[in-house]
Amino acid sequence: MRIQIFVGTGGVGKTSVAAAAALKTALGGSKCLVLTIDPARRLRTALGIDSRRTPAHIPTSDSPSPQSPQPGLEQRIPLDSLGGKGELWAALLDVGETLNRSVRTYAQPEQAKVVLAHPIYHVLLESLAGMQELMAVERMDQALRDGFEEIFIDTAPSRHAFEFVDKPEFFAELVSFPLVRLVGRTYRWWERLGLARVGRKSFELYTRVEEMLGATLVRQILEFFSVFRSIAEGYARRARRTLALLRDPRTASFVIVTTPFKAKRDGDYFCEEMAKRKFPVGALVVNRVWPPLDVRLEPNSPPALQETVAWYRNVSQAHQRLWEQAATSFAGRIPKLVQVPELSQDIDGLAALHRISQIIEL
Amino acid sequence: MPTPAGPLPLTILCGKGGVGKTTLSLALALRHADQGRTALVVTSHPLPELAVSVSLTGLKEKHPVAAGNLFVIHLNPREILDGQVKQQIPSQLLADAVLSSRIYQSLIEVAPGLKELAFLSQLQKLTEERASAPGSEAARKFDLLVWDAPATGHFLQTLKVSRNFDIYLSGPFALLGKQLTHFFSEPSHYALLPVTTLEEMAVEETIELCQKLGEELAMRPRAILCNLTSPLLAASGAAAAESARAMSSEGTTNPDLQFILDRSAIERSLFERLRASVETEFRTVEREPRWETDLDLLLAVSRRLEGLPDN
Repeated sequence: MRIQIFVGTGGVGKTSVAAAAALKTALGGSKCLVLTIDPARRLRTALGIDSRRTPAHIPTSDSPSPQSPQPGLEQRIPLDSLGGKGELWAALLDVGETLNRSVRTYAQPEQAKVVLAHPIYHVLLESLAGMQELMAVERMDQALRDGFEEIFIDTAPSRHAFEFVDKPEFFAELVSFPLVRLVGRTYRWWERLGLARVGRKSFELYTRVEEMLGATLVRQILEFFSVFRSIAEGYARRARRTLALLRDPRTASFVIVTTPFKAKRDGDYFCEEMAKRKFPVGALVVNRVWPPLDVRLEPNSPPALQETVAWYRNVSQAHQRLWEQAATSFAGRIPKLVQVPELSQDIDGLAALHRISQIIEL
Repeated sequence: MPTPAGPLPLTILCGKGGVGKTTLSLALALRHADQGRTALVVTSHPLPELAVSVSLTGLKEKHPVAAGNLFVIHLNPREILDGQVKQQIPSQLLADAVLSSRIYQSLIEVAPGLKELAFLSQLQKLTEERASAPGSEAARKFDLLVWDAPATGHFLQTLKVSRNFDIYLSGPFALLGKQLTHFFSEPSHYALLPVTTLEEMAVEETIELCQKLGEELAMRPRAILCNLTSPLLAASGAAAAESARAMSSEGTTNPDLQFILDRSAIERSLFERLRASVETEFRTVEREPRWETDLDLLLAVSRRLEGLPDN
């Protein structure tokens, strides 16, 4: 079992690189899953992922029972044309679906019903910062349970992509404060008798906070978290386990994906952040490197053409120089340094991924 | 030096991650600062992180005027919220007790939209203080206010959440929400400038962003900034066509020229797709092929942003 996590800033092509790496491994005979956040349209087609974005819907009491399967969550990509022995599956990381599935799997049916129908649950899915990352960890756990041998995951396009690992107990912490423990579903009763139990000071503070934020909001939150608490604690346990796997170089490897202009800074930044968190960095991929361009024009070519060619040559020279700088700078610090050339756009979809997969060795 | 007729609108640079929002925000502010106007960039990046990506080293020596007029801050929503709570509670002692209580700390972490609301109302306050008090200290302080917004998803969420707030809220924060809705209902108060590169994902995301802004928030962009373009894109139609013809006659035999031809064709078609999908003005910001320092880059870019934003 191996997990590769692709990190990088926005727009560097993490998903393509992750998918190509998965394709390569699948062609070698493994059962692979590539988990992606938000791939481009053409990549969606290549990966066979439904092109409509699944909204984080509000589950109702009509939602499937806890035992029912989740159809269409993972799509198998046929590899027959490439002569593949293994399996390649792709799935979109859907924050709503992942959390729904956890609630259905780990909560008592009665509890799940209350949580899934609660207005705060819906808002929580949409608005909690870092929810996507929290759910990525949960989704990894689900994928391992589903029997995938190799998981390739591309993270949210942000420098904060792995801040979540600092707080696996996030949910549990949120819901552990004494007030929520006390209130439960009897919070109306508590309102009258609570003073004696929580003490005057806490009660006064609670009243103040309630005035500040509005009583409805505060009560809804308290009510929700009193039910959600055990689910959150279960989540924290699984997250700790998954994070231990991610820290073990035998099971996990982080791949930094970047582009020539960002290579040095991204490499330094992510190396440092991951060293802080004790994550193993396996490779640096510099994506979309323009080839050296050798174009000689007739002296009487149109000026706009001359200008354009000169501009392209300048940019491509910069790419070559920056790649060499990065390669020198990270040699010895990162085990594998890989350059992926900018592909000409006449190939598309699975063919393009196959081409990249032949270049990269991660 | 042209002086704007009235206060400049709150200028919002939004868009996909990695398209250059921060660079263009700084360049835009630098332009105004260099022309003698005070400019404040409110960035979504914490400053130490910002320093990793952009450095203003050398500004004081080379451009003392700009250095005196340019301000960059990161507003921490949590600190703003705490500040607003302090204002609401007259007793310092009680305010501190509330702020340090676990009840408050846990609640604001999970209270949906509260931090976003606090952040936006602070932006609104900074904008309106200038408008309502011309000649005052605040007005002189920032002629231009630029919000270097977070990437698309979080940006839309920030705007939306503050509007849907009244479902839950009563009390002082509900009032802030109402003021905010009022502020954004007047298009002259803000200049929305989505930034994009001419790459497939960025263009798709920009189109989707503009649709959502229109449908869900009734907000329209003043202009779309196409960043990192090639010179061919900005060339006149005739010159571009001539170049393309000249290239394609040779391109098929020379793979390097073919590469240029392919890239140019992709860029052009994405630009056309964007123009067909969003009805607004377009500005291209050509990619600088080389630069020495970050400051040089910002200055070069800033020259391409002349006249933005209009009031």
